[in-house]
Formats: sequence, C-alpha cells, structure tokens
Amino acid sequence: MSVPILVIAAADDWPTDRVVAALGARGSEVFRMDTTDFPQQLALAGRIDEEHGWAGELSTDWRTVDLARVGAVYYRAPGPFGISEAMSGPEQQFAAAQARAGLGGVLSALECRWVNHPTAMARAEYKPVQLAAARASGLRIPPTLITNQAEAVRSFAEQVPGPLVSKPVASPIIVEEGLLKTVYTRKLSPSDLADLRGVDATAHLFQAWVEKAYEVRLTVVGERMLAAAVYAGSAAARVDWRSDYGALTYAVTDIPADVAAGVRRMMTRLGLRYGAADFVVDPQGRHWFLEVNPCGQWDWIQGATGLPIAEALADELEGIA
Amino acid sequence: MTTPIGPSHQAFPLTPPGGRYLHSNETPSGPDVRPWALRFATVPDSTGAVAVPACVYDQTQQVSLASDGGLLTCMANTHTPTVPDGDPDNPPPLDEGPKD
Repeated sequence: MSVPILVIAAADDWPTDRVVAALGARGSEVFRMDTTDFPQQLALAGRIDEEHGWAGELSTDWRTVDLARVGAVYYRAPGPFGISEAMSGPEQQFAAAQARAGLGGVLSALECRWVNHPTAMARAEYKPVQLAAARASGLRIPPTLITNQAEAVRSFAEQVPGPLVSKPVASPIIVEEGLLKTVYTRKLSPSDLADLRGVDATAHLFQAWVEKAYEVRLTVVGERMLAAAVYAGSAAARVDWRSDYGALTYAVTDIPADVAAGVRRMMTRLGLRYGAADFVVDPQGRHWFLEVNPCGQWDWIQGATGLPIAEALADELEGIA
Repeated sequence: MTTPIGPSHQAFPLTPPGGRYLHSNETPSGPDVRPWALRFATVPDSTGAVAVPACVYDQTQQVSLASDGGLLTCMANTHTPTVPDGDPDNPPPLDEGPKD
C-alpha cells in the first residue's frame, strides 16, 4: 500500500500544482496544505509517547492524513500562519510562535523523505554557506568578498585580475516610492568603485567576474541532474540572465562527471534533495559554481527544454531511484 | 542524514506576514546612508510582463485551475517567466529576479 505524500506549499504556488498532478496521475495519496490554513482551516492532533513516534492527524474539511503514515514531504515556501486578526498584536505574535513551534515542530520531526527539510533549506539559503559547501565539495568557485569595509573592496579589486561583479547577498528586491525595484548582478566599472559610500551600511558581496561561454541552470532532484544550457543574446543577459529573459535561449545539456560528483557531495553537505544551481561555463569549458537555490524555480526550464523536472520530483517523493 | 540545526525562527521558514516584500512609499536616503548596492536598483523592464490569469483553487484536485480547467504554470501558461514590472503586487516568484 502506498504511503501518503504531504505537500506543504502556498495554494497559489503553481509549479507545485504540476508535482501534485504528477503524483495524482500515479495514484499517489496526496495531502496538500498551506501553513496559512493553520489554525483556522487546518487541524492538528499530534501525539507522541514512549511506544510511538509522532502520530495523529492533520485534517481539513476535505481530507485527513495520518502523520504516522506520511512517507514523504514536499516543502516549498508556504505562507504565514493564519492567525485571527481579532487578536491583539502581542497575542498574534504569541500565537504565531506557538504555531511555528507546534505545527512546524511536529512536521519537522517526521522521519521520512523530505524535499527539502525546512531546517536544511533555511541554512542553505545563505550564499556564504553555499559557497563554502561547494568549495569543500571540490567545485570551482570565483573568489568572493563579503564586507562592509570600503578599503577591503579596494584591496580585493587590486588583487583580483579582471573585473568584479557585485550582487545582493540576500533578496535583491526592494519596494520604495511605491515601486518594486530589483538589483541585478552588475559588472563593475572603475567609476562604480570610485565612490564606495554606503558599503559600510550593510554586508555587500563582490566576486571575480568569470568570462562566460554560456551558463547552466542545473536542477538537482535526488541523484538526478537535469541540466539546461542558458544562452544569453544581449549584453545585459550576459551579466545577469534574469535581467533579460527575452534574450535567452535554452538547450538540454550535460555536465562533466566530476562536476556532477561535486554537486552530489555539496547537496549531501547541505542536506538538500532539491536545488536549482547556477554555473558559468567559461570559454575553456570549465564550470564555475555561483549558487544553489534550495527553493529555486524550475517550471519555466521544464517548459523551455522538456526536462522532466515535475516527474523527477514525483519520483523522489515516491522513493523511486 | 544529519539535519543541521538553525535558529528557531528559521527552522520552519515561512513567507513573512504581509508578503515577501513590504510595501513602502518612502523615498531613498542619501549616498552616505543608503546601502551602496542599492545604487544599482532599477524598476525591471516590463516589456515582457505577463498578466496572471484568473484561477480558482480546486480542493478536490488540490491544484489551481484556469478558466479552461487546465493547470496554470508560474508563467501563466505561457512558459515564459513572470517579469516583474515595478508593481509591488506583481513580485517575481521566488528566484525569478536577480540571483537571490
């Protein structure tokens, strides 16, 4: 008898729909929930004792799942808890903290396949952690500086042959003046480096520019490596391909065996079973690791290349090697 | 597998209340105060922006369905990425936008 698969994602996370549909087509039992539904539309009754691990039920008006039977969890950016707005602010904070530790704690304790376990995902979100794991796994990484010191930037620029790029260490998005703005990766000119006021305002990331033949978006699902070459057709896209999607073309590609082995070691170090990794391939064919996003988008790559990513995720959740 | 233990507030990451990006009409501060990286903040080109179609969440299938009864994609059935257009209510999904 198949075991239930728990899907924890925002209801409007449409890529997750594809995974749910793939699982449904196989006849798998799926219980999809969003943390936003807790505690008003999602009920939890979990128990543990000396005889048994966490057991009990998660239930909605539509279905119920036995926690003890859950065989796998797909965890992808669920929403904030749906705490009653009738509470005072302090009451809401208290209730949200209890929900995180209660529901989040019970779910986190489930011993089953995770794609990805939220604790591993939270840690792996940090770019410095990713770079350290990649380096320790034998992957090639560009020299990188993270600092709030202008003098350290000048020194780094002198030591690194060739240009530098800057990019946000965390989310690149800011909303100000009523507008959503974003900070793309920028290839720095000498004039950019001439005035470094504001570097001391927070942490900044600087990295050696790597000449690009093309880039690779490597979607890793369990042991599977689904690689797409990304070819940039504009100057902006050659620096940061997200800045000019219209100028991109894609093709299914392969990655060298030593890179694949390094990626598997890195994923193990990070405790991840899914990741969207970005590489630069230089004119000599060498692969340079830039980052791995444990919650990275994949649906448009599947649409552009036909890579069977949703099916791979369903396989991983079902424990099919 | 050993699971690393992070700070308690990160051990079960959720989208923050109010959304991933807080709306603001504040104006930028000056160059002595503003983070240097924000000198390069731009409103993304909206040329390729794709409107997200109306949809409903189907509790039976546990997916969102478009008006034709089919699945949506994050790119609204176009297989092109959602391009942020400066509207705070139309943020890029997850890692769409500069490398985050």
